[in-house]
Amino acid sequence: MSPPCQWVRSVLVAYLDGELKPSTAEAVRRHLARCESCRAQMRLLEESWRLLDEMPTGRVPAGFTQRMMARVVEEKELSAFAARLRPHEARRRVFASVLGVAAGLVLGFAVYAWTGMFETPASPVECEVSRHVSFLEDVDLLDEVAVIQAIDRLNRGMDEVEDGA
Amino acid sequence: MAKAIAAVAGSYEQAGRRGAAADYDVSLMLRFQKGDELAFQELVERNQGRVVGLVYRFISDASDAEDLAQEVFLRIYRARKTYKPTAKFSTWMFRITANVSLNALRSRANRKDDVSIDQVTDFGDGPRAMPDPDTKMPDHGLHQDELQTKVREAIADLPEKQQVAVVLNKYEGMSYAEIADTIGCSTMAVKSLLARARDNLKDHLLLYIRTGRGRQRVG
Repeated sequence: MSPPCQWVRSVLVAYLDGELKPSTAEAVRRHLARCESCRAQMRLLEESWRLLDEMPTGRVPAGFTQRMMARVVEEKELSAFAARLRPHEARRRVFASVLGVAAGLVLGFAVYAWTGMFETPASPVECEVSRHVSFLEDVDLLDEVAVIQAIDRLNRGMDEVEDGA
Repeated sequence: MAKAIAAVAGSYEQAGRRGAAADYDVSLMLRFQKGDELAFQELVERNQGRVVGLVYRFISDASDAEDLAQEVFLRIYRARKTYKPTAKFSTWMFRITANVSLNALRSRANRKDDVSIDQVTDFGDGPRAMPDPDTKMPDHGLHQDELQTKVREAIADLPEKQQVAVVLNKYEGMSYAEIADTIGCSTMAVKSLLARARDNLKDHLLLYIRTGRGRQRVG
């Protein structure tokens, strides 16, 4: 296909629809006058477009407006019902939230109590150790104090030895 | 805001009274927005033919056309509080109509995948949108039903946007700019959509047009 034919084919539908600028439409018209192939293409487009006229037209059934307005009334009633429902719905949601929190607390406590039942009681030794936990935590510090005191005593002993000497 | 709406409504009402080319439907919608339910009823009466017709073009099923057309008007009813007269009323209404119709087509396509052979089609028992008996009959040997089926298939096989562009252009006589407003794209995009759509339609219906006399089957 020659470049002019390609260009005409690309704008042919717009040409048929009267959607081209006058100068462009004139150029297409001049090309069509001397190009049988593009004229045949145009006829196919026109004829296939005309076949769409064979489709039946939808006709409005009798009483359409009355049925439509009845649906509008239903719609209004539904909206009014939904509006009336809204405060109840809000209260129901608050109540459901409170109930949920309470249920959560009760469940948490129940789980805590239930798992506590399976813990073995502490032995007397463990009880005794737990009473001295603070002492045990400081045992390293006490260790260091004991070492310092020992060094101190050693120093004093050395001094006495030197004094005696 | 209320003053602005009132001013626009006033101007449209005046224009409507003058019978000028102004969009009278917009004035009805603004009256409805202010609580005038009769204005909505008038909107329904004025536009039901176009809406039912357009829905029918998309879904080609008289049994669903009324329900879907009512859905379109219900959406308009629900949008009364947020409606702003920024475009022609018909542009907005056709956008809703196209959306409702395409949604129905999509759910119908999904349903088709699930339908078992035992299921029967429910045609309902209420009054339905019917094909217009005044629609002209073709003067050719090909059965009308067969030709309509082929044309329907050709349109249905188009991608959604092409379908919308074709229906609005062919049956509503909309310009490219109006279609662009309705489907929310540029005029150039509409030009391209329609070029591809008409090329597809031509290929799909080639058997019926090849002789040059039109609507005669080849072979």
